[in-house]
Amino acid sequence: MILYYLPLILIFLAAIISYKFNKTGYILTAIASIIFSVFTFKIYDYITYFYLIAAIVWVITSLFSITYSKNYGKWLSPLFILTVAGMMLILYSANFLVFISGWEIMSIPAYLTVAINKKNDIEAYVFMFFSEISTVLIITAGVLSFYYTGTLNFVKINNDIVLLIFAIGAMSKMGLTPFMISEWLPIAHGSAPANSSAIFSATMTLMGVYGITKLALLSPESLYVGILFIVIGIISVLFGALYAYISENMKSLGGFSTIENNGTILSVTGLFVAVNNSILRTFILITIVIYAMAHSIAKTGLFITVGHTGSEYFSEVNNIKDNENSLGKFFILSSLSGLLPSLGGLATWMVIEAFFMTAFLHGPLGVTAIIAGSLIAMGEGFATAAMLKIFYFTNRGNKKHIKYESHIILLNGVILVLLFIISPLIIGRYYISGIPSVLIFNGFMIESKFSNADFGLISPVYIFILILIFTVIAYMIFRKPKIRVSERWNGGIENNEYYNSFVYSNNIRLILKKILRTKYENNELIQTVDLFWLVMIDLAGAYRKISKYIAYKFMNSSISMYLIYMIFAFVLIIIITSVVY
Amino acid sequence: MKYYKFGNKNGRYIGSNNKYDVYENTIASKIPENNAIIEKKPYEIYFNYGPSAGGLRESVNFSIVTPGETIRDITVNSHYKRRKIKIINDDINNALLKIERINGFHTASNTVCFLLAIEDALDIDNTGSNDKRIIEIELERIRSNIDVIKGLCESAGFSVPEKQLLYLREKITRIISDTFNHRYFFSANQINNVCGNFNKIRLNGIYDEFYEIYNSLLESKIFMDRIQENGIVNDINSSGPAARASGYKYDARIDSESLTYDNYNIYTMEEGDTFSRFMVRSNEVLASINIINKLLREIGNGKNNTEIKNNSGEGTARIESPQGDIFYYVNIEDNKIKDLSMVSPSYLNIELFKKAVKNNNILTDFFFVWESFGIWVSELEVDFI
Repeated sequence: MILYYLPLILIFLAAIISYKFNKTGYILTAIASIIFSVFTFKIYDYITYFYLIAAIVWVITSLFSITYSKNYGKWLSPLFILTVAGMMLILYSANFLVFISGWEIMSIPAYLTVAINKKNDIEAYVFMFFSEISTVLIITAGVLSFYYTGTLNFVKINNDIVLLIFAIGAMSKMGLTPFMISEWLPIAHGSAPANSSAIFSATMTLMGVYGITKLALLSPESLYVGILFIVIGIISVLFGALYAYISENMKSLGGFSTIENNGTILSVTGLFVAVNNSILRTFILITIVIYAMAHSIAKTGLFITVGHTGSEYFSEVNNIKDNENSLGKFFILSSLSGLLPSLGGLATWMVIEAFFMTAFLHGPLGVTAIIAGSLIAMGEGFATAAMLKIFYFTNRGNKKHIKYESHIILLNGVILVLLFIISPLIIGRYYISGIPSVLIFNGFMIESKFSNADFGLISPVYIFILILIFTVIAYMIFRKPKIRVSERWNGGIENNEYYNSFVYSNNIRLILKKILRTKYENNELIQTVDLFWLVMIDLAGAYRKISKYIAYKFMNSSISMYLIYMIFAFVLIIIITSVVY
Repeated sequence: MKYYKFGNKNGRYIGSNNKYDVYENTIASKIPENNAIIEKKPYEIYFNYGPSAGGLRESVNFSIVTPGETIRDITVNSHYKRRKIKIINDDINNALLKIERINGFHTASNTVCFLLAIEDALDIDNTGSNDKRIIEIELERIRSNIDVIKGLCESAGFSVPEKQLLYLREKITRIISDTFNHRYFFSANQINNVCGNFNKIRLNGIYDEFYEIYNSLLESKIFMDRIQENGIVNDINSSGPAARASGYKYDARIDSESLTYDNYNIYTMEEGDTFSRFMVRSNEVLASINIINKLLREIGNGKNNTEIKNNSGEGTARIESPQGDIFYYVNIEDNKIKDLSMVSPSYLNIELFKKAVKNNNILTDFFFVWESFGIWVSELEVDFI
């Protein structure tokens, strides 16, 4: 038993040690993560796949942090490790109490990390505000669960309201505030050092996915909750991908990309909640974990790639190529673009398949699934453009002290390709087959199917081998391409002008200017403001105004008015409680 | 100087050269221009086009400041081909040869305006050649406007109307060649005289052919989409078809006495976009054909009186060239050029182009806007020495 919790003990120990010896702390974190995944991961028990995902991310970020965190003072490593410890506690939790404790242990060091590393407090407060909304809603879900089941443990519930409230809370943490894309996540994630941004984006949001999935497994099917998740998810996918494409802050781009990925996961989770066919549900559950795996690992790669540039904005990067870095980036960004041969490619294929298969259930869900599948495919297209932006504009020179970071980036990319190749081993046997007559042997093919109907198929090993063979053949025939580099012709004028990232994505700013609110100010500035964020700021402003008005006009030093307010609030609570009971 | 005097601003602005600012009725000392280099923002780039690039028939460089796609600002550098013309102290006939070669495509406008200024300086009665000169200028206008519309079709990738218009342009050029013995009016103009066989001018076929192409273009939704609401400019300081496309009734055929037109009706549009400039130019092609046909019925082929009373004096002339007002000032002493100044319509047009192209346009709009002004950079860099 103690052995089972050993990783937890080790990681809290690492948090303490790292204050003095941060290198040791990071290594201990990596070790604890590996032990954690070995002890907890069980094949075909899909909820445990989250443990493996989290462990892979923690190992990569811990190794990256060894060199990266040198410039960030002594507090970064204990706070980073404490955040990881909180997440581990969440994954260990069997009841709401431990879950909520883990949630807070994860969140508070995260606010501090942002606060310590930014001159302004605003980013940390924004982060804290949205995170604490999620905490309040999760506590509410816990209380309701206790009301319906009589226990705080995670057990079967016959009511979908707990899932709904929990999910809204988790969504807030994932940057998916219902019916709006909020800028808080990119602001918060973009304001931390890259190693922390990576765990915020890759695993902190994963905890939300984990929580929703866990409760979805315990809750009854619900068409309406499912469709609600799908709609919120789709809005997040489209806007997340769009804002990622036009973002000039590299870490904000990663933050928006996280919103896009989480939107996809939420949509698929909605499908899971709405569908009542057990075979299809299992396929959808596998899709959730494979997509979460691809997103989390690749997002870690994206943030360490950005951290490796040593800058925050595209315009500050020196743009000198490094082959190892480029190759690693290529695999990582392919995965985030939903392209083969990477785990992201497989995950995106599974998402689209899941939606299009659901269309065969007909009815409102069928129609929603067709539309949602198409929109997600569109969002993936936008995401590819955003990832190309990262690929082109984040090259950094081949200096010795950052060579180690390039190794980690390459390792991250290779992990995504390896996971793609071995994916048939971790997907349920029902969906694994082959067509021996065309030399695809049994066990090498993933098939999307439910009832008696077969849909699409994919064979990761064959895809990888074919790509490899054609690459090798092309190389053997043509060898290294002879490239003649010539000076650019610039109309006969000397001008050291280069295409930049802002120019690259300005087409979308202009095409979608109604949505993105692109405008020239004084005929000079271009500003893109998140419409939803503006509405929220307006609402907050209006709320403050009303509060101030009431405070000054009615309750200003008036004990009697205050008492009336107290009595009114008390009566209201009694009425609400009575109605609920 | 019958028509102009030196002084302060009076009337509409015609343009400037390196010495003078010229208005409708006066010549004023030049106010220095503010040619500040545009600073780009950190997220923007300078996008260079030209001076040596496909699609440009003259050496000109555009430095476009862009945050991507949209044109925030533009600098036009036209100084790649300096044109210092040694003309001071030349006699009039020798000077005329040089003036003819300033811009071959607009030789008639330049030489007629120059000669009108000479005739003003030497107090020559030139009423006898007025109508012939109008025919000459209007023929040049037809050819020039067809060329501009051809440029718009080329920008839109409309090869068929482009080639049809090129064919029409060639037809006009051959009519000019048959009439004046030179495709670009070289040696056709003399003091108070135009050498040409005007009986050879037959334009009715051209009227019908052009009208058909013009109507076809108006029916093309793709073409209209590309030129409507594109390159909008509305500036009180404008000239020629660009001014008339913005609703200004500016036309030297009406407000200058150098050449006298009989009851000319100005065609104007209000929008000031590329489409309006296309409409103005197209309608002026048809109007010019009508003017020529009317004058052909009235003129004879006789030679005019070339008697010269004085051999010294100052003179000016302003006429409506195809691109707008062209202005010449001459000072003659003993039949030799002592001072010479020219204001090209391209001067104002280039200023208008800069304003139009940065008015909510993207890079692909650039060519339409540029072509619609029919600017000739060669005229801008002329410096008489």
